[in-house]
Amino acid sequence: MIAVPFALCPLVLGCEEETRMTGYILRRFGYMLVTLIFVTIVGFFIIELPPGSYLEFHIQDLRAQGGNVTRDQIDALERRYGLNDPVYIKFWKWISGFPRGDFGESFQHQRPVNELIWDRLGYTVLISFATLIISWTIAILVGVYSATHRYTIPDYVITALQFAALAIPNFLLALVLMVFLQQTFGTHVGALFSPEYRDASWSIAKLFDLFSHLWIPIVILGVGGTAWTSRVMRANLLDVLNMQYVQTARAKGARERTVIWKHAVRNALHPLVMTLGMSLPGIISGETVVATVLNLPTSGPIYFQALIQQDMYLAGTFLVFLSIALLIGNLLADILLVWIDPRIQYS
Amino acid sequence: MSDQVSVKVAGPPGQAVKRPLSSKGTILDVRGLHTYFFTDLGVARALNGVTYSIPREKVLGVVGESGCGKSVTARSIMRLIQPPGRIVKGEVVLHRQNGAGSVEDVILTDLGKHSVEMRHIRGAEIAMIFQEPMSSLNPMYTIGAQIMEALLLHEDVDKAEARDRAIIFLDRVGMPSPKVVVDQYPHQISGGMRQRAMIALALSCAPSLLIADEPTTALDVTTEAQILDLMRELQHDIGMSIMFITHDLGVIAQTADEVVIMYLGRIAEQAPVDPLFYDPLHPYTRALLHSIPRIGRKTKERLQPISGVVPNPYSRISGCPFHPRCDSFMPGVCDVNVPGITYTDDGRAVRCFLYSDRVEPNE
Amino acid sequence: MAEISDQAVSTTVDAQEVSDVGELPQSKLIWMRFRRNKLAVIGGIGLILMYIVIALGPFLANNNYMYQNDDYIYGPPTPITFIGPSGKLGLRPYTYKVSTRLDPEAFKFVFDIDLDTKIPIRFFVEGDSYKLFGFINGSAHLFGVEGGQRFYPLGADGLGRDVLSRLLTGGQVSLTVGLVGVALTIVFGSVMGTVSGYFGGLADDIIQRIVELIMSFPTVPLWAALAAALPPISGDFSALDRYFLITVILSLVNWTGLSRQLRAKVMAYRESDFVMAALAAGAKDRRIIFTHMMPNAASHIIVVAALAIPGMILGETALSFLGLGILPPAVSWGSMLTDAQHVPVVIDHPWLMTPGIAVILSVLFFSFLGDALRDAADPYSI
Repeated sequence: MIAVPFALCPLVLGCEEETRMTGYILRRFGYMLVTLIFVTIVGFFIIELPPGSYLEFHIQDLRAQGGNVTRDQIDALERRYGLNDPVYIKFWKWISGFPRGDFGESFQHQRPVNELIWDRLGYTVLISFATLIISWTIAILVGVYSATHRYTIPDYVITALQFAALAIPNFLLALVLMVFLQQTFGTHVGALFSPEYRDASWSIAKLFDLFSHLWIPIVILGVGGTAWTSRVMRANLLDVLNMQYVQTARAKGARERTVIWKHAVRNALHPLVMTLGMSLPGIISGETVVATVLNLPTSGPIYFQALIQQDMYLAGTFLVFLSIALLIGNLLADILLVWIDPRIQYS
Repeated sequence: MSDQVSVKVAGPPGQAVKRPLSSKGTILDVRGLHTYFFTDLGVARALNGVTYSIPREKVLGVVGESGCGKSVTARSIMRLIQPPGRIVKGEVVLHRQNGAGSVEDVILTDLGKHSVEMRHIRGAEIAMIFQEPMSSLNPMYTIGAQIMEALLLHEDVDKAEARDRAIIFLDRVGMPSPKVVVDQYPHQISGGMRQRAMIALALSCAPSLLIADEPTTALDVTTEAQILDLMRELQHDIGMSIMFITHDLGVIAQTADEVVIMYLGRIAEQAPVDPLFYDPLHPYTRALLHSIPRIGRKTKERLQPISGVVPNPYSRISGCPFHPRCDSFMPGVCDVNVPGITYTDDGRAVRCFLYSDRVEPNE
Repeated sequence: MAEISDQAVSTTVDAQEVSDVGELPQSKLIWMRFRRNKLAVIGGIGLILMYIVIALGPFLANNNYMYQNDDYIYGPPTPITFIGPSGKLGLRPYTYKVSTRLDPEAFKFVFDIDLDTKIPIRFFVEGDSYKLFGFINGSAHLFGVEGGQRFYPLGADGLGRDVLSRLLTGGQVSLTVGLVGVALTIVFGSVMGTVSGYFGGLADDIIQRIVELIMSFPTVPLWAALAAALPPISGDFSALDRYFLITVILSLVNWTGLSRQLRAKVMAYRESDFVMAALAAGAKDRRIIFTHMMPNAASHIIVVAALAIPGMILGETALSFLGLGILPPAVSWGSMLTDAQHVPVVIDHPWLMTPGIAVILSVLFFSFLGDALRDAADPYSI
């Protein structure tokens, strides 16, 4: 499993560090798989929890529309979807389809879950990770600026903005932004593509179109996270600037800019990276909410609909895959942390 | 170069005083330095008119209780005082020796804190080592990288040569396995080794003055002895001047050539080490020496601390700052004016009304 | 170098006050620092006002929050003027007579304001009856209009219900969910965190695995799934029951953060000298936990709790907005915002966004408080 047999290490420069790191990464990966299994079980169980089933919902719907369903039809549907089976049988049937890429069928859409989720999950992941990267970049710059320009007017303005950003619910911001854009630009800006590109095949132009629409959800999602991260960065940097080694760096005669970025920020960043993994749940769940408001073709809207209508395979699969995205994000954050901090032991 | 140099000291204009200096001259002069910290709770006058000189190629010990301003002095010299602190008045003059035997006076307090010139002086001409070796080294970079940074800043070398020099210096300060340590991180080596690394870092650019701010306080006694030996040895070899800050009189007795006693932001006394210990002039110095427990004393005798406590830095005391705790207190004299600096014939300085009526001009 | 005149520099600080720092109890120190923070004062006063207003909700609002006025669907806020019928500016506020008619072409309701008929707004008017605090019966309202017309200071929603009244009643839900949820979070999180950190070993492992499991779910989807699992509102399961279960769900995810931080603190304290001393003196585990560790961690717990309240309020708002949180007949700010989901609706009827402002304000105030508490809780720092 390890890249180079330990015994050969003295021959390869730096290999000791590398093999330990590889081992660490593999171990974290293993933990992730185990957690994933538990997540799948618990997730399915939760989805299964509501009393009643999609079938009842569907029947009610039909009745409300004036039709009716016979007993035979009900039985047939129940058998088809296995709705009367005990929980663990349902779970097994569902899980055993995973390796084949079969995640069950969606009741309301009458299609395999497989066909419904990939595009949407893809966009969710794209938006979430893009938001993460952009938000953190801005937050670090803002945090460093406000820490080094303490007690100045820009610092106070930034603090005020941060408070405001943290107080606005993201769906509200989405709404306000949409209203504003509609009033100002007159166009309907609530989708990922303009009408002409939506079903077109991928091209540079389509990519461009995507980015021109993407900034809206990214801004909405990123605002709260940026505010929070920049405040933490500011606090960390203020702490680090009081540290002795910053004085040492100055005493060496280093440029102030070098002192701040190379010495102080690098150290202030470290506790922040530990929370990188924690930013991700907020972004992913925020994305699901905001997408509902903006009606984006991502996981959010149909996930919530599926929950309300108890379309359990669809909802369950979404929950599991969203958790996978989260776990991968955490794993990457752990790797990043280990990479930048020489003090971490690989145990 | 004449040994006797006429130096203008803080006082009413026009009053130059002949002050005999130690034989090789002075490398740095601090004159009437006032450094204040402006905080929410008030103004802390950390340095309230500090005047002393650091003799060339000798060790000057700076002694005082916690909070008397020893570290602030060092940082003021290095122009490392950060807001809300500021040098408010006074000057620091570096007597730089240029190759041809001439001496150039550089007024450090006139230079910009972050100017190119000041940054060059910091590190290349005046170096500083700090008290806590663990927190003085950046935990994210290797020892070698941190030494190389100084070298690359001030000397005309490339990376490979900087690395070689770093290893040489580590070896010079007695670091075991320097070729290994140069690639290690601060948390991987012991406290004594870290302090050696700091010394290597400080010396890497051959400074003419080393300021050591309580370098051995955080170390155990054995390591402390080793580091002190190392410093003396290096000083003799390189011919460096050292300003050694500590609160430990024992270390001073061992290491210093001249001593400065500080109290509440002012110099109480400056003298060569032996006369200071055998014949202290200032009542504070006397009280300090009396308070040291001595082996061999009768066990029934009580220890003699200095009465009272060090006042908090935000308060202002009229007259001589030590008078509330002084057993030679003269009412009407000591609580009215601040004593000026008296220079004795044998090259000592003291601020006390016991020795002259000189009064410090009003601030 | 610049000279400073003595006058410009503040003279002796009261030496007593500064030197007393070592003698004051920690809570007093925290309070002193807290008080100095202006934002905290704003936040504190703002919140107190908000809570008073929502407690007095039914008394302050003119109409019952559930009353649907078919004549006033999406009705705008009734205009108020201080100019009396005689045309003079006075102290008594007046409102206009409003009549509704259906515009046959646009097929919308149009509200005509009769500028000539001014109706005085009186105080302590008889109106819909209500129960204040759940047990005080009353039917007088702080202000209102006598006679047939109803008074809608903030307009009406899609079913003709008074926005102001729903805002106040919804506030009762939105502002208390956070508190109850946080109380649960504190209890659960502290217990788990302390047990985990203090006893270590198997208990620690199990609890940490559970924590990691919970933290592996994205928050809102998890809340949504749990909320969807709640039974529908019926005779057996009232809106109040649902409210409590929603708070439980919100804290179910939140406690993990607190427990992790507390575990780290407890593990650090466990190695500290004062705990060693207590152990050496023969103190039992329970005593050590409650007498020594908890008080030290108390300030940290309070800060984390205060900072968690905004998250809870936002969480409930989001859930209710999505239709998964508080359901009718109960009302919360989030569920009021569901009506405001569609851009055309908002553009035409902007008063429907007022619950959003209420949410933002309450979260801001709590954030000010929490932030100030966090700064103040470390009284020994500069």
